[in-house]
Amino acid sequence: MSTTPRLNPPPNTSADFGSYLGYIGKTAAAFFDLYAEYWQRGVLPPDLKETTRLRNARITDCGY
Amino acid sequence: MDKPTASTPPTSIANVAALLQPIFGARPELWSRFQTFYDSMWTSGQISRRVLEICRLRIASIHDCSAEWSFRTVDVFVSDVELDALRRGDFSAFDHCEQAALHVAEKFPFQHDDIADAEVQAIEAGYGSAAAVALLTAVAFFDVRCRWHLVMSSNVPN
Repeated sequence: MSTTPRLNPPPNTSADFGSYLGYIGKTAAAFFDLYAEYWQRGVLPPDLKETTRLRNARITDCGY
Repeated sequence: MDKPTASTPPTSIANVAALLQPIFGARPELWSRFQTFYDSMWTSGQISRRVLEICRLRIASIHDCSAEWSFRTVDVFVSDVELDALRRGDFSAFDHCEQAALHVAEKFPFQHDDIADAEVQAIEAGYGSAAAVALLTAVAFFDVRCRWHLVMSSNVPN
């Protein structure tokens, strides 16, 4: 798979995933707040979460 | 344009949220943050709520997810003709930009590897870069919500 972004990045930024989130700052901030809550708390052990995250990345052929 | 009928009862986002809330019963903090995130996609104003709604409904149809299909975002008008077209995957009734959004949404659930550069760029050309990112983010989570419903609910046919 390619990891070259398909869209034009925000002005004065590089074409990478993080830069694109700058387009949707409020939504991205809310997502990372959600994602941090998922990773930092809960009954599932972190290694199980990480294992399933990596497996999902492989299944979806996601290089990130 | 056709008028809404009793077959498409409008439902508020708050009521829609109630569909998923029981799934998060053991993690209310997670649910609260998910709601904030999901609502921000609908209220940011970066992409029209109608475009979000037709993409959400198309993905619900692809998954045959009755929970997602059964409600309508209350202030978004989608005609019965358009709803039928979304059910069938016929996008000819929609304008050029909406078709670009729907073509990408169509592939998100099971054909994401087949989404072409040109298809993404057509969304960017139609709506702009920021709107394209907002739309692609939202579409990903429309897919997620259907999967949550389908995996975490009873599989008794509706």
